[in-house]
Amino acid sequence: MIDVVGQVGRWALSQLSAALQVSVLVVDTFVWLVIAPLKGKGLRWRSAIEHTVEFGVRSLPIVGMICFLIGVIIALQASYTLDQFGANRYIADLVAVSALRELAPLMTAILIAGRCGSAITAEIGTMKVNEELDALEVMGVNPVKYLVAPKFLAMVISVPSVTAIAMFIMIAGGWASAVFVVGVEPIVYVNQTVGSIVEKDLLTGMIKSVFFGVAICWVGVYRGFQVEGGAEGVGRQTTASVVTAIFLIIIVDLIFTVLFYYV
Amino acid sequence: MSSPDPVIIVEDLQVAFGEKVVLDQINFSVQPGEIFVILGGSGSGKTTLLRNLVGLMRPRSGRILIDGKDFTAMSSVERMEIRRSMGMCFQGSALLGSLSVADNVALPLREHTKLEESTIEIMTRIKLELVGLSGVEEYLPSELSGGMRKRAGIARAMAMDPKIIFYDEPSAGLDPIVAAGLDELIRTMQSTFNLTSVVVTHEMESVKIIADRVCVLHKGRVAGVGTLAELEQTDHPYIQQFFARRPDDSDLADAAYARSLTDID
Repeated sequence: MIDVVGQVGRWALSQLSAALQVSVLVVDTFVWLVIAPLKGKGLRWRSAIEHTVEFGVRSLPIVGMICFLIGVIIALQASYTLDQFGANRYIADLVAVSALRELAPLMTAILIAGRCGSAITAEIGTMKVNEELDALEVMGVNPVKYLVAPKFLAMVISVPSVTAIAMFIMIAGGWASAVFVVGVEPIVYVNQTVGSIVEKDLLTGMIKSVFFGVAICWVGVYRGFQVEGGAEGVGRQTTASVVTAIFLIIIVDLIFTVLFYYV
Repeated sequence: MSSPDPVIIVEDLQVAFGEKVVLDQINFSVQPGEIFVILGGSGSGKTTLLRNLVGLMRPRSGRILIDGKDFTAMSSVERMEIRRSMGMCFQGSALLGSLSVADNVALPLREHTKLEESTIEIMTRIKLELVGLSGVEEYLPSELSGGMRKRAGIARAMAMDPKIIFYDEPSAGLDPIVAAGLDELIRTMQSTFNLTSVVVTHEMESVKIIADRVCVLHKGRVAGVGTLAELEQTDHPYIQQFFARRPDDSDLADAAYARSLTDID
């Protein structure tokens, strides 16, 4: 019994110290991203742009392909029920609303977490193992400024941008299967889609995706700084980074969905 | 003979990981312009001591004075300032793997100065020539040999023209010829720039060549401080054993000691 209590206590303490470290990281990132540039201490724009290309542009092929296929799948699944009522034209509504409000932001975030969140952890973790983080510190270069701020900016730009494109592609996927497999009139599908989308749907998805980007970046960075030991530690934290990021993405998703449900 | 004010003063330093005290009652001072060697076997705490000296770790108690200012008690902003007058060469060189050699050397200049890009380029080339590395500017660190990487690390540490330079195991993992070359470089740096140098090592051979004064660490305590000749006169059993390169009767005891430090509960 005492063992159990001790375990719970230790777990709670470790969670608390993790929360503390994350909040220090959050404050530091904010300082280096917003306050320092105002004081004339520059941000590493070049690095930010390079990372935006890596996180955003290079993620497009895989995100686009997956989102297209998911659009195809939802349309077919929707037809399974709607067909019984002769309401196949409503496939468009279903695909559009689920893509915008939920699936495009979620799929994009999960894919970018797997592709780039892990890469962030691996990069920072390897740097820690090779004493490169220590070297930065000794040179008087703040690791958060040098490494985290550009990545954070890149992530917050990339995830929503890719999400916006993913939304469009997912709807296109739905259109393709509804038109070519189910047999909906192409123009009917388009009209139905346009008619079903409201501004709020788009906004919901975009706001969520910004916070998904925040979650992916911080988890990746935090896990990277957590690396202990050698290559094995990098591997362990990289895995943990992806799992934690996906978990956090779902939690953030839930919070915003509940919020938008009432607003 | 009155000696000038020491650059580094370590007073009653105690360092611990959790309950385990790894450094205790450490006292020494480093004079300006000398090469001060911290010598010790594996697990003696010499790397930990170095990490405290450069501020990568905080001691549990005691003080480290650099240029008369308490390095352990200052704010992180002040520490960043002091660090610009210090350079450090890491054991594995710790060059940033994503940057070319030239960019690595230029990094402190780009971060801390507002110099023109062309000036930075020239300064980078001068520093690389200084350590005998011209013509490899555009290589990535992974494309260099171990000795060249160490040299590049020294060039980077020298980028901001520091007053103090720290070397962590400069000759570890290098063949004797390359290691001797590095010893020579450390000497040249010190004599050319009157650079206060602190070298952590376990290689007796290089100690004989470079050391002005030596501090021998044993099991987290100072076994002796002085010139090599002075230390050879002492009858401290560990120092004698280390200098004579005699194996330990209680090899296992030492191994157990090292393990007790590195064990994580």
